[in-house]
Amino acid sequence: MSISRKTAIVGIGATEFSKDSGRTEMQLACEAVKAALDDAGLKGSDIDGMATFSMDNSWENEVLRQVGGKELKFFSRTEFGGGAACGPFVHAATAISSGLCETVVIYRALNERSGLRFGSGQLFNNNPMDPNIINFSHYFPYGFMTPAAWIAFSARRYMHEFGATSEDFGRVAVSMRDFAATNPKAFFYQRPITLEEHQASRMIADPLRLYDCCQESDGAVAFVVTSAERAKDLANTPALIASARQSIVKDSRMMTPFYGESISGIPEFDACAGEIYSMAGLSPDDIDMACLYDHFSPWVLPQLEAFGFCDRGEAKDFVKDGHISRGGKLPVNTHGGQLGEAYIHGMNGIAEAVRQIRGTSVNQAGDVNRVLITAGAGVPTGAAILEKA
Amino acid sequence: MSVNTRTNNITASDVQVGDTLPEFSLPITARLVVSAAIATQDFQDVHHDKAAAQAKGTPDIFMNILSTNGFVGRYLTDWAGPSSRIKNIKFNLGAPNYPGDTMVVTGEITELNEEGENTIAKIEFRGKNGMGNHVSGSALLQLGAAS
Amino acid sequence: MSDNVSVAIKEKVAHLLNRRVGPYNSWNPVSRTQVWQWCTAMGDNNPLYLDDEYRQDTEFDDVTAPPTMMQMWSMRDAQGNYAPGSTDKNPYELLSVLEDNGYAGIMAVSYDQTFHRYLQEGERVHHYTTLVNMTDLKTTGMGKGFFVTEFAEFLTEDEEKFAEAVITYFQYETPKKQPGAKKPGSDIQKITRVHPVENYDNAHFWQGLRDGKLLIQKCDSCATLRHPPQPMCSECQSLNWSTIEASGKGSIYTYTVMHYPEIPPFDYPNAIALIELEEGVRIATQLTDIKPNDIKIGMDVEMVLTEVQDDMTLPLFGPIGSASAAKKKQEQQS
Repeated sequence: MSISRKTAIVGIGATEFSKDSGRTEMQLACEAVKAALDDAGLKGSDIDGMATFSMDNSWENEVLRQVGGKELKFFSRTEFGGGAACGPFVHAATAISSGLCETVVIYRALNERSGLRFGSGQLFNNNPMDPNIINFSHYFPYGFMTPAAWIAFSARRYMHEFGATSEDFGRVAVSMRDFAATNPKAFFYQRPITLEEHQASRMIADPLRLYDCCQESDGAVAFVVTSAERAKDLANTPALIASARQSIVKDSRMMTPFYGESISGIPEFDACAGEIYSMAGLSPDDIDMACLYDHFSPWVLPQLEAFGFCDRGEAKDFVKDGHISRGGKLPVNTHGGQLGEAYIHGMNGIAEAVRQIRGTSVNQAGDVNRVLITAGAGVPTGAAILEKA
Repeated sequence: MSVNTRTNNITASDVQVGDTLPEFSLPITARLVVSAAIATQDFQDVHHDKAAAQAKGTPDIFMNILSTNGFVGRYLTDWAGPSSRIKNIKFNLGAPNYPGDTMVVTGEITELNEEGENTIAKIEFRGKNGMGNHVSGSALLQLGAAS
Repeated sequence: MSDNVSVAIKEKVAHLLNRRVGPYNSWNPVSRTQVWQWCTAMGDNNPLYLDDEYRQDTEFDDVTAPPTMMQMWSMRDAQGNYAPGSTDKNPYELLSVLEDNGYAGIMAVSYDQTFHRYLQEGERVHHYTTLVNMTDLKTTGMGKGFFVTEFAEFLTEDEEKFAEAVITYFQYETPKKQPGAKKPGSDIQKITRVHPVENYDNAHFWQGLRDGKLLIQKCDSCATLRHPPQPMCSECQSLNWSTIEASGKGSIYTYTVMHYPEIPPFDYPNAIALIELEEGVRIATQLTDIKPNDIKIGMDVEMVLTEVQDDMTLPLFGPIGSASAAKKKQEQQS
């Protein structure tokens, strides 16, 4: 049994994105879930499943009670930070297609700016049972303790192997900021940058500059996923889950994938791309736009390669030719991405994919029928294709 | 603490870009904080009154900025000697200096520029305490002439 | 929302910007007593300032003031008053307005001082100040607030500018804390490197470093080496393993130079590299004895086993030769 096109995203909801939400993550989660239910034209009592990130601090029972829910038959969580952005959709699609439940709410709420910032180097405790800590023990004692620095190892190798430059990363950032500049919900609304400004921005972890790094944010995003059958009776254009898969490979690590044969690519995406297309019966040419995980600009490049939009090492030219930018043949992150809109662990990008399929994005990329979405890079992850019903 | 600065005379021929200055370790005591605050004519209570400092949410009295400035000046001329002249000091401020801590100041010559007959050394320095950088910045120091 | 706040407050204070206020006079002329008080507090023995004999061979005739004293001459006295003849205008009226609007916290964040000449005993000085810039509302680790920049001019009696300074303050709203949030610390904690957390799988590695050895796991069944440590061999699933001592030689596979944020207690820039050991496994570490610009992928490096703090030994790596240099240095010290 395939999960392809058996389920659809029928509701999206979000809070504002900010540097200080001034309320608890629980409240953010409830607000976003309520907004997603309203958007779908459903009630809390229609929910019978939930899926979120292991890192999320808002428990399912608490959210369910507050949004007017009665009972959950299914709930699941996905590990690995932003790598969890697609997992909940895989779980929801599987649970609904197999008849375990009918309507799953997916949410992610975080005060990642006003609370614990991942970029601050403070993700540490002394629990020998915590796999994060055992992993990070090999890096933190050296001060090697920020996501930007971990990503820099791979970015440097990518430059070394393919002749890419800081400007090639900069063009990704410039493109995202261009989209953000016309998105009123974005942090960087009306604040585009030039390549020169990117090159002049301060060095964070060589070769990553300030504008290569996402904006740590407070906020929440939620979705309602239900069966394709039921979606037909609801008001919004359904975004069918045409394919969805998680991906771990033998060299996967938590943010520190330094030990595989090559570390300049993203082996998790290399491994799953073929099936993401075959499950949906599609090829890269069928994809109208993409929402790719962009916590740091360098890792947008190998994603374009893994998913077959260009050959290995050629993403820099693909980007330089304007293909991922406004008006390009594969616009990427028309909301501004995490570099320009907000860092909600990738979930704001998936919401944008749904808006593109509905034709309601502020930066609508024409008639969009199919969107590729990816979860975090540098961690166990996943990907999916959404399709207009 | 006493450096024999009288005989110190670092001249342009003694140094090159990349040289590091000797490390300077300053134990922070309440006496140091208070005497320096008064010498700098800074009478704010957080620099001499522990109870008042704690009422404002800090664990103890702490060093005022003008004192930091004074210690930076001393660090530069302790090394370069009395024939040097301080032209510019700029710095950013960070973790406070509380009694019981120690500030360790390090420096490096990052530029040497001729200005008329004189050589101006650009020194990048930072003073770290147990909580991080107390002060980091750069100074322009005119070196003494060879005698 | 922030933008609206910025606009409203900026309108309110616009007339207070770029207004040169002063003079603020000195209470006393430059005097030996005050220079002495400064030098003794700072432990500054520079003979230029107070040693009349030394000074005979210099351009100065009289007691000379450390240039860093610049600002103190015309500051307020212990009663909070400016010296007679000073203007009664509040130089920081703008900051008071911000305070009244809820931005009550203030901290100086940066100083940039230029000293045109040193002062000598008997000179009287005064200063003028101008608030030259205020940013939009910014969010920092301290909370939301405005950066305000002051330009101060320090003048002698005949209006000669002997020094000037650009000082930036952050005037901020003490952040609303969630009920129950941790209060500002009341004890001073020394920040050290975080300790690796040890368990059955990795303790040998950290113990090895304490014993002066870089140990790499080796599968007892198929002899495959592995790092970081894990209990089962990926190749043959054996749970039996021992260790070999790595030679400490390798090359740089990739690297980064960390600049920001500056996380205590580390020195920045902080060069980090992934070393491919000659035994064939990779290990992430800090580089030592090398300038960031000299780091190249592929360069040969060697281990410099370093006691980075009292209770922690780490296998740092540096250019060939750094290990013997470090050893020599250690011998000299002991």
